Amino acid sequence: MIFSELYSAYYNTVAGILSACLNGRPEEKDLRKIVEERAFSESVLTVLPALKEGRWQLLRPDLTTPLRREPAIPLTLLEKRWLKAILQDPRIRLFDVHVDGLDGVDPLFDLNDISYYDRYADGDPFEDPEYVRRFRLIREAIRTGTPLQAAYVNRKGLRLRMRFIPTGLEYSEKDDKFRVRVTGSRFANLRLGRITRLGIYQGDGPWHRAPEPERIEEVTLELRDERNALDRVMNHFAHLEKEAEKIGKDRYRIRLRYYKSDETELVIRILGFGPVIKVTEPENFVDLIKERLIRQKECGIR
Amino acid sequence: MAYNELIKNFNRIRDYMKDFYVFGFKSRGDFTQKSARSYDDEKRRVESWLGDYMSFRHTPDGKNVFLSIDSRAAESNPLYTAWKTKSFTDGDITLHFILFDILYSPAVKMTLKEILDRIDREYLADFAEPPEFDESTVRKKLKEYVEEGLIRAEKDGRQMLYSRCETTDLTGASDVIDFFSETAPLGVIGSFLKDRLPEHRNIFSFKHHYINAALDSEILLTLLTAIREKRTVTLENKSPRFARVTTVEVLPLKILAGTQDGRWYLMSLHLKGNHFNAYRLDYLQKVKPGEVYEKFDTAARAYEKRAAHSWSVSCEWSMQRLEHVEFVVEVLPGEEHIVERLEREKRCGSVEQIDETHWRFSADIFNSQEILPWIRTFICRITQMDFSNRTVENKFKEDLAEIMRLYGLTDREAES
Repeated sequence: MIFSELYSAYYNTVAGILSACLNGRPEEKDLRKIVEERAFSESVLTVLPALKEGRWQLLRPDLTTPLRREPAIPLTLLEKRWLKAILQDPRIRLFDVHVDGLDGVDPLFDLNDISYYDRYADGDPFEDPEYVRRFRLIREAIRTGTPLQAAYVNRKGLRLRMRFIPTGLEYSEKDDKFRVRVTGSRFANLRLGRITRLGIYQGDGPWHRAPEPERIEEVTLELRDERNALDRVMNHFAHLEKEAEKIGKDRYRIRLRYYKSDETELVIRILGFGPVIKVTEPENFVDLIKERLIRQKECGIR
Repeated sequence: MAYNELIKNFNRIRDYMKDFYVFGFKSRGDFTQKSARSYDDEKRRVESWLGDYMSFRHTPDGKNVFLSIDSRAAESNPLYTAWKTKSFTDGDITLHFILFDILYSPAVKMTLKEILDRIDREYLADFAEPPEFDESTVRKKLKEYVEEGLIRAEKDGRQMLYSRCETTDLTGASDVIDFFSETAPLGVIGSFLKDRLPEHRNIFSFKHHYINAALDSEILLTLLTAIREKRTVTLENKSPRFARVTTVEVLPLKILAGTQDGRWYLMSLHLKGNHFNAYRLDYLQKVKPGEVYEKFDTAARAYEKRAAHSWSVSCEWSMQRLEHVEFVVEVLPGEEHIVERLEREKRCGSVEQIDETHWRFSADIFNSQEILPWIRTFICRITQMDFSNRTVENKFKEDLAEIMRLYGLTDREAES
């Protein structure tokens, strides 16, 4: 059972409060802070009164507890089975990890029972030892702030040499690829699969200035709810920040916020919906759609 | 009943969360499935759990509430929060912490009587009105925790000894848990593990990250379990298009996960009609496991063979129903990435070069309608189409003409 109080924010919060009480003499404001950090915005109205008024008899009025040890609960079988299942994922090789205590535990699911049917076919080679080595080096460098130097093949096939300080890893489920977020380079991110050589950089720069934060743009669409279009469009763009409003019978206006570097991808995704959506603004985005349509007209279709 | 931030039944909130997150244009009056009071309570809960992501807009129809989340910027799936809101009784939480304080190590083994004695003597004595934990209540809680894998029960002669299970060391697994809690099926369980980890820096972020499938986790778990156990299931399916709940008995064969729209489906064999059918997980209200199905392997093999001809979720028994689709795109010098796109994005079929600047994709699939959205992404370079299903091909061309009209691209404008 996934929906259980064992995993609830309240249990987790009370564990934090009890630990604080066992480790010192917290004041009420300290306990309130724990509630704010671990639970929800209105929880402070419930958790502390329940403890102070003795409905949950775990805290005495003087904020001491009859418990002797910091609360620590073993993993549930559900958690162990989930861990066992993910240890069978090919991507687990990226992490040099071993979890004890899972012998004889049945995996929660079999990855072969799930098909990511529309995932791109050229995902990163997660089982290639060289790729794994680079992934681990980058991961370590992110933790330690270590500069790296690399040979990199850009999308035009050109071989580049570069140095950078990795700051994070971004994974795309659709692409099945990692990008490395970097600083100190003229690029903001690099495709991990395009790095062909990688090592620690031991020089002392100079470094490029940190790239500008990615620009966020907005596009407005008008949708005609035919052929279940509303459901398809809203699900398709669910991962973006968005706003929708009904503007007439079966007609909706949708505003999507997107990263400028994803603009071309967004243009073709919008075209994929055909005539049920129309871009209304901004003008430059409308022009991007029109350019494609004009070129299409020139192609003609037999 | 007085408002409570926690809930007893997850299904109560599931539809509201979906409406607030995926759609977000409904006002109070549009939520007709429950009372206005219920709407107010659920809205208040979601606001309390996810206030940072909650937005409001005033329209002539009333105030719209919506969740606006850029999942690329969020460190972890905010919707997991909803799974951490299960209500409990005062006795549940009190007993929970006391039991694990008494059974503080796997080496500590006690009988029920010893545990009861310790509770009364050492934990509740200081309170003015201590709750009464009778034998039956504590035994029931211990049994529940044995089933959850938290407590071990072993016979010692005629009595039962209880001890806590060993602690699993998660040191060094924080990156694994951070990553897989967002990318693996049932990632919400990874999120529970994450709550147990000490504070640490999360180095991962996620692009094209569809987070709403998290709301269907319990349904997904039941289906994956049924597939592993080769059981039939009874589904209660509520398709918004038909606005009614239908009950159907199927053999679950595979989960189909969409990485481009976040929609998850169950592929199944419809037992009465003996045909393959796909069901959206977010439309399923309930899943009840049934009997083990003897011919599961035969059905699964039959599906696998046909899946190679399924562009999306359509699948038929008869291979005679395959439809041929073919289209040609123009690839000018410097546009080689288009060929790469064809190769990586095709889910079946083949790609071949037919002259210096033209490439052809062809495939035999069960439903040519399903491939149209993908073909439209090549608008600006499509030179030829050849579908065995002429109705679908003609529909594509009509739609294209309609898009041209939408953008005012009459012949004259296109030429200028």
